[in-house]
Amino acid sequence: METDYEEDDDNVYINEELESGKEQVVVSHAPDQRIVPPLNFCPVERYLYRSGQPSPVNFPFLLNLNLRTIIWLANEEPQDTLLEFCDAHGIQLQFATINPDGGEDDNPWDGLTEHSIISALQTIVNIENYPLLVCCGMGRHRTGTVIGCLRRIMGWNLASVSEEYRRFTGSRGGRILVELLIEAFDTHLVKIDREKAPRWLLSAVK
Amino acid sequence: MEDSLKGKIRQMMHEDSETLVRSLEREDGVLELKMGLDSGKFDVHNAISEDDDLKQELEDLIRKFYPEKKEFTEEDVDDVFDEDEYKAQSSAVRRSSVVEEVIPPENFSHVVGEIYRSSFPRPENFAFLQKRIKLKSILVLIPEEYPQENREFMEDAGIKLFQVGMSGNKEPFVNIPSDILTRALEVAINPANHPILIHCNRGKHRTGCLVGCIRRLQNWSLTMIFDEYRRFAFPKARALDQQFIEMYDDHVIKKNAHENNWLPIKW
Repeated sequence: METDYEEDDDNVYINEELESGKEQVVVSHAPDQRIVPPLNFCPVERYLYRSGQPSPVNFPFLLNLNLRTIIWLANEEPQDTLLEFCDAHGIQLQFATINPDGGEDDNPWDGLTEHSIISALQTIVNIENYPLLVCCGMGRHRTGTVIGCLRRIMGWNLASVSEEYRRFTGSRGGRILVELLIEAFDTHLVKIDREKAPRWLLSAVK
Repeated sequence: MEDSLKGKIRQMMHEDSETLVRSLEREDGVLELKMGLDSGKFDVHNAISEDDDLKQELEDLIRKFYPEKKEFTEEDVDDVFDEDEYKAQSSAVRRSSVVEEVIPPENFSHVVGEIYRSSFPRPENFAFLQKRIKLKSILVLIPEEYPQENREFMEDAGIKLFQVGMSGNKEPFVNIPSDILTRALEVAINPANHPILIHCNRGKHRTGCLVGCIRRLQNWSLTMIFDEYRRFAFPKARALDQQFIEMYDDHVIKKNAHENNWLPIKW
């Protein structure tokens, strides 16, 4: 055990947190660079994306997207690394608290309230916030709810909205409550300023 | 009996519209109770529709209240009230225009930039593709002839068709040849063809392979490429397709793409 440990210690490697060992790395050939999108990442419309919570391994990918805004759909704060990333790159992080009265003890399984859906959608219908990423913990249900309601505003038929939602819900499938919420959502509650609406939305609500 | 009924109805004519409807409903209810639900003979509605004079009088009366409605039968009276109620309730939040419902094809999604994917588009999807996505081209990955209906739609909408027929990775021994996929990629990532829709039959396997190779051109990690492939192929993901995506030799397409300045593909 002891010797193993020492051997490890002798190895040159970069500790990301301390950045120790950085000087000793000699690059002999270009690395086979692979970029990693966040879990459940997918474009929704031009310059509008959805995903699960991005982690540091996804940051180089996110930089490619030139994001201006990230909408975070949860009561709890995202990981510090994400907060720092947004800070460092001037990305505005919008919290659409799912249940403002719930506090930190709130059950993350709870769905979104109508108020938080509308607040997220108000951001989405404004081109000034683009490029824009909508995300929650896994990018499944809360993100799916908001995107589902957006599709309703765009006039998608409900079967297609449901199909898209379920594509991202993983092996456990979709939640009926989420789909009921999407179906019952009153699309008129979202105020669309035509001057600031994205082009794909304008062609839907003209 | 019929005469007394007519008298009753004539009397109703002098009532205002709401009272009239309520009386009609009450009358209906009473008759139904008496005669059972199947009775049609003494039904107030029937009495009205069988007597042209009465019908005319009722229509005139209703027109007084709803001048915009030219024609409707008594059965629609309830609907009219609902609509009014609806108008009153929602006038405060109504948008000036009504959103037209659109039907995207199954398995439809954005891929990157103005590249889209889906299953085989059907007539009910045409309006969506033309008006919302404003397609310029369609790339179809089936070897069979493209349906006449779809061809006509594309001609009308001015959409160009590219066909690169391939028959999918099926065990045993059927594989998509790499050079065919390269040809498909050349069409797909060429900005001159955008917005473009890529589709095969279900939008799962062949389309999934092509999109997987687009992701490789974007340098995505294979794990996330496979994850996306499986999301769209669910529940019929094929191990062979994922192998194909990994093994695809991208030298030729990368060279062509660089020469034409197609990379990096714009978000």
